[in-house]
Amino acid sequence: MKTIEELREQIAKTSYICGSCGSCRSVCPVYREIGWESSAPRRKLALAKEVFLKKKEQQVTDQYAQRLQECTLCGKCAEICAAGIKTREIWLNLREELRARGMEHPNLTQMVLQIKSTHNISTFSNEARLDWVEDLDEVEVEVSKAGSEVAYFVGCVSSFYPMSVGISQSIVSLLDRANVNYTVLGSEEWCCGFPLIASGNTQQVTELAKHNVKKVRALGVKTLITGCASCYHTWTHEYPTILKGNLGFEVLHATQYLAGLIRKRQLVPGNLDVTVTYHDPCDLGRNSGIYDEPRELLQAMEGLNFVEMPHHREMADCCGGGGNLAAVDKDLSQAIAVKRVREAVATGATILTSACQQCVQTLQMAARQEKLPLEVLDVTELLWRSLEE
Amino acid sequence: MEQALQKICGKRVTTDPFECAPYAKDVAYIPGILVHLLTNPVPKAVVQPISAEEISSLIKWAKQGKIPVTVRGGGSTAYFNSVPMRSGLVIDTNRLQGFSKIELSQGSNRKMVWVKAGMTWKDLDDGLRQQGCAVCSSPSSAPSATIGGWVSMGGLGIGSVPYGPVHDQVMAIRGVTAAGEIVELSRPDKGPVKIQGSKELGLQFNDMMGTEGTRGIITEIKLLVRDVPEKEEHLLAVFNSETDTGSMMSWLGGENFISLYNVHFSSPELIMTLQEAGYAHEISQGKYSLEIDLEGKRNEVDKAVARIRNHVQVLGGTLLPDEVGEEEWADRFKSLRLKQTLPSLQAAEITLPVSNFAAFYEGLSKLGQKSKTLCVTYAHLVSSEMALVMVLYPSDELNTIRYIADLSFISQIYKLGQSFGGKPYVIGLWNTPYLGKVYDRGERERRRQRKQALDPQALLNPGKGYNPPSIILNSYVFGFGMIMIGFFRPLVLKILKGGKGR
Repeated sequence: MKTIEELREQIAKTSYICGSCGSCRSVCPVYREIGWESSAPRRKLALAKEVFLKKKEQQVTDQYAQRLQECTLCGKCAEICAAGIKTREIWLNLREELRARGMEHPNLTQMVLQIKSTHNISTFSNEARLDWVEDLDEVEVEVSKAGSEVAYFVGCVSSFYPMSVGISQSIVSLLDRANVNYTVLGSEEWCCGFPLIASGNTQQVTELAKHNVKKVRALGVKTLITGCASCYHTWTHEYPTILKGNLGFEVLHATQYLAGLIRKRQLVPGNLDVTVTYHDPCDLGRNSGIYDEPRELLQAMEGLNFVEMPHHREMADCCGGGGNLAAVDKDLSQAIAVKRVREAVATGATILTSACQQCVQTLQMAARQEKLPLEVLDVTELLWRSLEE
Repeated sequence: MEQALQKICGKRVTTDPFECAPYAKDVAYIPGILVHLLTNPVPKAVVQPISAEEISSLIKWAKQGKIPVTVRGGGSTAYFNSVPMRSGLVIDTNRLQGFSKIELSQGSNRKMVWVKAGMTWKDLDDGLRQQGCAVCSSPSSAPSATIGGWVSMGGLGIGSVPYGPVHDQVMAIRGVTAAGEIVELSRPDKGPVKIQGSKELGLQFNDMMGTEGTRGIITEIKLLVRDVPEKEEHLLAVFNSETDTGSMMSWLGGENFISLYNVHFSSPELIMTLQEAGYAHEISQGKYSLEIDLEGKRNEVDKAVARIRNHVQVLGGTLLPDEVGEEEWADRFKSLRLKQTLPSLQAAEITLPVSNFAAFYEGLSKLGQKSKTLCVTYAHLVSSEMALVMVLYPSDELNTIRYIADLSFISQIYKLGQSFGGKPYVIGLWNTPYLGKVYDRGERERRRQRKQALDPQALLNPGKGYNPPSIILNSYVFGFGMIMIGFFRPLVLKILKGGKGR
């Protein structure tokens, strides 16, 4: 949590660099839906300058607060910024300030309470984290098994949401097929804290980070993997900062780990005669720099015809599900997702893949809403399908 | 007002001060005291039409109530070109999106598309490239500048060397007149085409080129496009002096290479500024750089590269490794990174004969030294003879007195540029005192008559491009004021210990 003086210093450093050129506006998924300048990153930064640097904090209006929270944190504004401004930190710190002023969106306040109470983002007890295992017939998932090489951090969405449990089921099936000695944390897995960071509640992440790291360290694993792009970003970018040091084990996204298994021929993908495209999750791509491994998995499947969408890699469009946007404005989130699934359909692909449970869920809902002939899957789900078939 | 506008544009209307406020700004910081002294920039309403028909209705409605109308695209210019002078209605064109199928012109076999005014140049180029085509040229602000915006401005930028100003690539325009009529205008050699009762002597094709939305509103243009080039090469050459660099620029312009696409100059001060921010480390200190971009048929590019390599050597320059040139090209829209080192800047942009570039630059260096002003310069070759030169210098927007004092330096740059055949690039509001430097008396009179004939009530973007709208901006008054402020500027800088900005 920054003091108001630290926040002002940060706003000064960024807002005077901003040339208001509007490159950010043109690529911002939220501006593209709302259309008013007030929703453009350049305007939000200009307002921060007007309000905080002139010490007119009392003029932070509900409208401005709403605009600050209508952001997917996709990072495309930073990617295209003509002045090279790294915008993510300023958006997060402004959200911290809103929370401190009691201007946090009520749905976010509710979500924070939920995480505090259950240690996950759902209304289910954390004891139910492994309910998804019950549907697996041939794979035995062991919990907190000492001596494991790999710990699999499942993530809240693919632990609790029926639409997404296929991802965790696929990942453990793939690990099992490759004879990887792995384990999961079960009810000892707590939310990674990403939704709290994105809502301006960073100070509450420390407890979660300490708990999760302690539990993984206790297992003595060499590697932690996760299928969630936001969990991955939090483990690799936030935890070392929060805990002020090295975690003591390697953290990989599931696609990175599986790509390694394929390279070693420890896992041999099957055949699939389908046309597939790939959506780069913002937290895995732009915000973490991982673009190649998910594509490597797709291209390792024989018969699969891989096509790129016009907006891909660094310039990929957001799915609309990031930054807690769905909690602040579900329709806005969905409208962004609809654009993305339409872009996928236009490539001729019948399957849209991603490497993030939140992206997959958001895009699935959009494809269903639009009744598009498009199946939305995680890359790991498709990889497992190739082996099943 | 809101209800009347909603009847035309539905929910795409706002009169909310929170939403209207951003439309009172463009990229340049201007002290509030000057803005409010000379303008009333916050619009009463902003509308986002999606068709020419809606714009037509909006204009007719505004005409009835004598409400000024300012059209705005990306808002990425710096002279209040698209900021209201007298409040009123802002027409935000950003919902005019999309382009037609690529078509071939009869006879000449040239490829062209109809593109809506609110698309950005980058979006159009990205879209065209999916179909094997590309825009011929684009502004250096392509990610934000809109189609209608750049056509309404000077239209010079990346790719202007082979393709000329964007105005040369426009084959036809669809737009709305100041009377609210929808028109389609072809290039003059084919004669204007009337769609709806446009009067004789009514809006003509050339009325829409570079006139900043003061005579009509562009809704769509028919634009020449090109095939994606077979080969691209991006070279970065460095030189020891402005004379050698200027000679290289003149030589490149004069050789008429078919494949020469773009030439971008960076001064040692710009390179130093970027290096302080962590960029451009491949270039040695004190060097002048030229990014030379070639695009075209493989053999044409290869031939040009060989000759350019040779001539760089002749002039004592060095070509940096290929990847440095490629990186510079990839970052061509990131010119504002220099603000990481110099956050508060003022700027003057001029067109200048390339043969005088080195002399101008030398004069600028002396002027900078004399006035203790760090001048950071970059330039594009925009034709075989002309360069578009941007001179930036540090100021301090947190200190109004310093900032106003620094405004006088723009006058000095323009004066220096004029002595070498240069002139300000666009007019907008803030350059109206310099109208006499841009157009001769006859041309100014012809422009005024044209405006009077087409928009007698002066409703379209009033205050821009014709007469200075205030006595303060009168060329004599303003000129005298700038001389006086310039006289006191050294003292102001000394007292405030200025020089590098904040």
